[in-house]
Order: sequence, then structure tokens, then C-alpha cells
Amino acid sequence: MPAIVLALVVGVLFYLGYRYYSNYLARKVYALDASAATPAHTMSDGVDFVPTNKHVLFGHHFTSIAGAAPIVGPAIAVFWGWGPALLWVVAGTIFAAGVHDFGALVVSVRHKARSIGTLANEVINKRARALFLLIIFFLLTLVNAVFAVVIANLFVANPEAVLPMLLQIPLAIGIGQYVYRTRSAALVPTLIGVVLLYCSILLGQLWPITLGFAAEDGFFTDRNIWVILLFAYTFVASRIPVWVLLQPRDYINSHQLFIALGVIVLGVTVGMDKIVAPAINDTPEGSPSWFPLLFVTIACGAISGFHSLVSSGTTSKQLDKETDARYVGYFGAVGEGSLALGSILACTAGVVATTADWNAVYADFASASDGATGNFVAGVANFASNLGVSASLATVFAAIVVISFAATTMDTGVRLQRYIVQEIAEVAGARKLSRSATFGSLVAVLVPLAMALIPGGGKDGFTFGVLWQLFGTTNQLTAGLALAVIAVWVTKQRRNPTAVLIPLVFLVVMTVWALIVNLQEFLNQQEWVLFPLDLIILVLAIWLIVEAAIALRKAWQGAAEQDESTVR
Amino acid sequence: MTKGGLPARLRAAWRRLERGHDQLFVARWRQGARREARRQQDTLRALVMLESLGVDNPVAYETLELIPYLVADLHEWHQRMGQRGFGDPEVCC
Repeated sequence: MPAIVLALVVGVLFYLGYRYYSNYLARKVYALDASAATPAHTMSDGVDFVPTNKHVLFGHHFTSIAGAAPIVGPAIAVFWGWGPALLWVVAGTIFAAGVHDFGALVVSVRHKARSIGTLANEVINKRARALFLLIIFFLLTLVNAVFAVVIANLFVANPEAVLPMLLQIPLAIGIGQYVYRTRSAALVPTLIGVVLLYCSILLGQLWPITLGFAAEDGFFTDRNIWVILLFAYTFVASRIPVWVLLQPRDYINSHQLFIALGVIVLGVTVGMDKIVAPAINDTPEGSPSWFPLLFVTIACGAISGFHSLVSSGTTSKQLDKETDARYVGYFGAVGEGSLALGSILACTAGVVATTADWNAVYADFASASDGATGNFVAGVANFASNLGVSASLATVFAAIVVISFAATTMDTGVRLQRYIVQEIAEVAGARKLSRSATFGSLVAVLVPLAMALIPGGGKDGFTFGVLWQLFGTTNQLTAGLALAVIAVWVTKQRRNPTAVLIPLVFLVVMTVWALIVNLQEFLNQQEWVLFPLDLIILVLAIWLIVEAAIALRKAWQGAAEQDESTVR
Repeated sequence: MTKGGLPARLRAAWRRLERGHDQLFVARWRQGARREARRQQDTLRALVMLESLGVDNPVAYETLELIPYLVADLHEWHQRMGQRGFGDPEVCC
């Protein structure tokens, strides 16, 4: 089947989801009011609280939520065949991510644009704030660990991409400084900057950078040294103001996102590549089962708790009208689902030409997960070559796109983790540590560094996919907490919370199930690093279930008592 | 037809494109720069106004002359800091 057919079918389903289901949510569940004054107006300060056109705000929201995660998850999950991965992406986007992203935005707007962590404290109870901090701590630890591995693997596989990535830093800073100081329109300098970045691929091909540590068995491999260098870089980057380095790089990346999406759409359309992967893969004996692990392997792209942080952190402060929340929140989730669809197409239609070759690439779970990002890069490179770009140039281009996304996520992740560590220290009463940025940065760097350096693959270590699934569980728990906040709020408003409760229950059950399955596996394999980590996350999941149940019961009782007093 | 014909229309279209690009991609980074500038200004203001906040300021004499420059947007600042009024007695507002 041509990949474009699948893309069109999913496009129609996403359209129907937006047209009808989000309309139902807007009217019956969230009861949007076009005349209500939003915090962007009531608290307008010209900096954070600024009423913004809904199309512009959608662009801001989408570029904030989209990154490497909706690429890597589906690239691993197609190991079970494109059918389960695609079904989860489509159903998850329409019935879970849309509800979650849209709902988090609405609840935040109705509570003075407060963040989801503060809302958990207000809407559920004070313990929920501690729970939120702990979930986010593990989420960020695993995010930083997995993306360090992703970047290091791509640097090892594509040494031609190293120099362009290094050159991107001064290039981004230069564009930022030029636009800021001259106050001129940014379009032309940005276009020049992006063209220069892609021209630097030629330099990268002339001077590929390898570290020369080839010993595969020892500690000093290229991969491990890249991981150490990346964390050294993020340690420094997290200590300097965001506008010096992080923002200029993110600015370039927001353009790369649209360029990559354009290349995928055009490449698939022009090339008419066929899907060579099976709909359901006959996986080798001993492989992990797709049920329930699929639902934690694909988090971003189906539903991701990280989006609630963006929805309630920045987007809610800029919403011009309450009714814009439907377009910005729900359609933002659809955009993320489209990126996941692009990843599925790249890894099932673009990566290789025949089913036999695909079976070789996705021979077992270890090779499927370790090679996932490389497979996406190869797939996008093939789509780009459909447009006339040379294959070698296209491969480095695709690698740069993924590395840029992953690097920005790491930059942000380490910085956020620093704040979280300081906040946890404050909650724990360690005031001296809570005030030390160095302590926060060290914890933010050393813990995920240790996770990333633990051997991956082979009989002595665990595969990258298992670490990825643990990251997925923490992402899903964050989404669970946000959905619990939304469900409690909807119940307190005496509206039907079923549309929120269904994804909440499904997500929590699948996550706990996946954690238990992996826990048994870690115990059998005597994985004494992953076992306690999985156990801690499982405890957090159970804690979340208890808090959500208590809060929902109270909300129901409160609503029922209110109804009774109204009748009397 | 627009005065100037095709070149003028192309220039207008290019300017629209530049404005759209600016709003979509640049505005959020400019907002970040403003946020940083505000944070630094807030820190300076808090230091200069320490005594008004009830904290001893060992360099009050040296920072006294900065106060007139920081009074203009004092109202917006103390409201943002969660204080409805400012000073003792509450002279502002």
C-alpha cells in the first residue's frame, strides 16, 4: 500500500476528530465561553500575559510541544507492525491527547493561568504537589538519559553531522544577536542562517568527526565519550541565561520542524513509497508483547504529560478568547500526532525498499530499539532524495534535524531538572541545598549520566527500548495527573467527566500493567538498576491512583450535595 | 489596482510575510528577552527599595538617587508582586 494512502486516511480521521469530538468537548465538557475574559486580558503585562492571535499561538504551542520524542517512540513501536502503532497514535491523539492538551489549557485559563503543578495542589490536595515534583523528577532524569543516548548514537553513526551541529551554535547566536540588536525583520537573516546550516553539511562531509575510541567492549567507546561530553555541555548550558544559547538554538529548530514536516509530506507524495513493513509483525519468540508495552513506548505522539506543562505554563497566559483553546489545544495534539505518523511512515515505507530488508532491520526488539532513530533518519533521507537531494546529503540533513530536537530537549530538560531538584530540596527542608544552583545542576547531570552510561544491548546490559519505556511510563503518569486534575475540575463544575475519565483510567491501567510486566522481567534478569527505578515509578503510579480516586470521590460528593441543596 | 503595480504589490506581500514570520517565530523569543530584562529590573528595584520593604539597606545612601528613575513603573511592579498598596502609609494608589 502506498504510504500516501495511509497518510490521507489518518488525515481524514484527525479532521473528523477535530471537527466533531473537540466540538463536543468544547460545548459539553469544558463549556467554553467566548465572552469570558481570559488571563491574557485580565492580567495583561506585555511580557507573559499577552492576548495572541489563535493561529500565531498555535504555532508557538506546536513548536513548544513537538520534539524528538514523537519520532523515537513510534520508530521503536513499529517493531510490532505498523497496525498497532498507527491505531494507538490515531486513537490516542483523538480520544486522549486532544482531551488532555485541550483540558489542561482550559483548566489553567479558568485558574488565572496557573501551572499544572500548582493546580494539582489546589484542585486535588497538597500531597499532589509532592507527587507531581517526584514524577517530573523521574521524567526529566529519563528524558535526559534517553536523549543523550539518541544523540550519541547518531553522532557515532553520522560523524558528518557533528561539525554542522557545532556550527549551529555560533550561527544561532549570530542570528539572535543580529535580530535583537538591529530590531530588523528576522525572515531574511533566518533564511540565510538555515541555508548556511544546511551548507555546513558539505563541510561536515569533508571533515567528519570521530573520537577514535573504537573498543566496543570497554568503557571508553565513542558512544560513552559523546554521552559524557553532552552532559558536560548541558551542565554549562543550564547555568547560563536562556537567551544566550537555548533560545537562539530553539529558534532555528522551530524552522527545522516545519522543514522536516514539509520534506516528509512532499517526499511521500512525490515518491509514492510503499509500506513494506507488515501490519502486524510476527515477532521472534521471547520478544516483549505489544500489549501493554505499546502504550508506554509511544507516549508523545499519542498522549504526553509534557504537553500539560506547556499548555498550563505558557500557552494559557496568551489565549485571547476561551474558545480559541479548542483550536490551539486540540489541534496542537493533532499536529503532534501527525509528526508521529511521519515517523511511522519513515520507518515502514522510507527506511528500506523490501519486506525482507525491513525484517532484517527490525529483526528483534534490541536492534529495533537501538536502531530506531537511525531508521527514522534513513526513512526521511529517502523521502528527501525523492525530492532530488543526494542520498548522503539527505541522511546528514535528517540526522541534524533529530539531533537538534533531541539537543534542545536535553538543554531544557537539564535546566528544568535543576529547578525541580532545588524545589524538592526546599520541600524536604534542605534550605542550603535548595539555594545552590550548582547542587541542582550536578544532580540534574550526574543521575541521567549514570543511567545513560549503563551498558545498553547485549547479554550484560539492557536495550535502549527498555529505558525508553520507563521514560514513557513517567510521561504517561504526568498525563494521568493532569487528566485527574481536569476530571476533578469538570466534576466540580457538575458536568459529565466521562470523556476525561476514559483516557485517565486507560492510561493508568496500561502504565501500571507495563510497569509490572517490566518489573517481573527485571527481577528475572537481575537488573538491579532498572528494578528499583521501575519499583519507585510503580509506587508513584499507585499513589497517583489513590489521590485521583480520593479527589474524584470528594468532587462527586460535593456536586451531589450541591444538587440536593438546589432541589430543596 | 494598487498604486505602483506589480512591484508594489510584491513588496507589500513580502512585508506581510515578514510580519507573519515575525509573529509566528520571533515574538516568543523577543518575549523571552523582555522577561529576562524585567527580571533584572525587578532585582534592581527590590534592592533599591529594600528599606521600603522593611529590610535594612547598608548602601541606602548610594542607591537613594536611583529611586526617581524607578518610580515611574512602581505601581505595575508592586501589583505584580501581589501587594495592593505600597509603602507605609500606603502612599501609592
